[in-house]
Amino acid sequence: MTLPAEPEGLEDAAPTWLVVARQEMRDLSISGRALVLLFGLSALLSAVTYLAASNQALNFLERREAVNLLVQFAVAVGVLVTLVVSADGISGERERGTLETLLVTPAPRRAIVLGKLVAALSLWFGAYAVSVPYVLLLSGELGILVQTLVLSLVVGTLIAIGLASIGLLISSMSNSNKASLAISVFLLLILFAPTQLPSGLPQGLFFDALLLLDPITAGLGYISGQLIGGQAWTEDLVSLVSPVLIIVLAGGALLLGAPRLVRLVAGRSAG
Amino acid sequence: MAGAVVQAKALTKRYGARTALADLSFSADQGDVVGLLGPNGAGKTTTIRLLTTVLTPTSGDFSVAGHRSNAAEEIRRRIGVLPESGGYPRHQTGRDYLRYYARLHGIGQRPAGLLADRLLADVGLDERGRSAISSYSRGMKRRLGIARALVNDPAVIFLDEPTIGLDPAGRSQVLGMVRDLARSRGTTVLLSTHTLPEVEETCSKVLVLDQGRLQSFGSVRDVIETAMVEPYAQLRVHRDLLTRAKEAVAGLKDFSVEQSDGQPDVLRITAIASANGRPPMSADLNAALVAVAEAGVPVLSFEVEGARLTDAFLKMTGG
Repeated sequence: MTLPAEPEGLEDAAPTWLVVARQEMRDLSISGRALVLLFGLSALLSAVTYLAASNQALNFLERREAVNLLVQFAVAVGVLVTLVVSADGISGERERGTLETLLVTPAPRRAIVLGKLVAALSLWFGAYAVSVPYVLLLSGELGILVQTLVLSLVVGTLIAIGLASIGLLISSMSNSNKASLAISVFLLLILFAPTQLPSGLPQGLFFDALLLLDPITAGLGYISGQLIGGQAWTEDLVSLVSPVLIIVLAGGALLLGAPRLVRLVAGRSAG
Repeated sequence: MAGAVVQAKALTKRYGARTALADLSFSADQGDVVGLLGPNGAGKTTTIRLLTTVLTPTSGDFSVAGHRSNAAEEIRRRIGVLPESGGYPRHQTGRDYLRYYARLHGIGQRPAGLLADRLLADVGLDERGRSAISSYSRGMKRRLGIARALVNDPAVIFLDEPTIGLDPAGRSQVLGMVRDLARSRGTTVLLSTHTLPEVEETCSKVLVLDQGRLQSFGSVRDVIETAMVEPYAQLRVHRDLLTRAKEAVAGLKDFSVEQSDGQPDVLRITAIASANGRPPMSADLNAALVAVAEAGVPVLSFEVEGARLTDAFLKMTGG
């Protein structure tokens, strides 16, 4: 048996986070998980587009309302698949017994979480790409199309980064993958719930503040305001504060706390 | 610490009130193959996880490959690890898997691919390198794990139960590789195993742990002597000649002889402490064999017991 020679090729090495991200994306792709999730999204968007288009044809729904309905679904479900993937990021590796081999490499913990975050976000961009043909179908005119695509990309990406960070945080603190997924999806449902109330939350300063703090409700509200309400992009920018705040808080906690969070076993006495 | 590639000083790990490892101190030099022995829960895996920086010690200090415990990233650059319960990504191919770990060690894309091919050939998986890991047998996965532990040409390699699940040929191949690593490249190997003959065959040093405490550390011979297991021999002769053999041994000083329970043709011969107080050694039993032969008794078998690592291990760990 021959033995390995000295490692070569150190000079063209990529940043570790990029190595991790590429591998994670490759795993998502070859395991079929990404495909299944995006296929599910596509089936859902097909149904929503059909309903919106028929309502539009019957004059029950205006064009902008139909597009808005589709975008709300696309962003919500796109964020959901991103969250599902990120919630599996650390706890899944723990459960599959693959985390220890990763921890004994020189890869910095921050690079590991950043790579996983980027890989989870690739699902969001995949979901966005899947939604483009449906938006194209419903929008009818270039102005609405461009506005919708830009709005959903910007707002959706902000929400996706924030929630993927939360998903990874939960995952890093869970020893069970099922627990991590359950907590993450439950959180998403809570955040998504106000958008589904027929008459919204009761009026008042407290509830207004609550809605502004909910990144999904606030973000989707901003999109609706633009698409249906005819607001300028500079109006109601306060609605984007909570998505950005979540990125800063959850993303910051994740990256700063990575050395203590990415451990073989979750919990205070783990290390 | 000069010369020691691995050195632990009073290394301790506690989980609340439970002590997983207490005051472990030892050192290993370049090219040493250290066998880590102990019953389940003795602290072997904790020791490996501490030295590989996966866990942080509650107290104590260690150095690996010239780096102190606070330089975790530097240590990880210089070590290779095969964890006991390491899982494998089901959908990746063996080649992709090795290439990924090579890249995590900072090796460029193309050289990482070449290295993966070479390592797959080294562990006899070159023909299956492009198959999904989910199709590998347990033994193949172990060999892939060993290949992964070698991607960075480590100064120290930690192998937690490396031969578990391997067939005799695979086991022999892995142990041969461990010896090659130590002998020809000067790699220091820490090998945790329950298979004691493997340790006697492969290791230059042995570290015995029990309930998180160091029981013995040294060469195989040192550890056996430390355990002070009383050596004895099982002598088998023809049943008609048993009395003559017994008389021949009884005539010697420093031996006791009795018929073995349930075996009418076997004598149990025990060496007792000599007058100078030196503990009896297995070689002392040769005199009994000579005496029996000189008495004209044909010896059917003569087996020395209590002088093996297994005997010492069982005595130290209360097994």
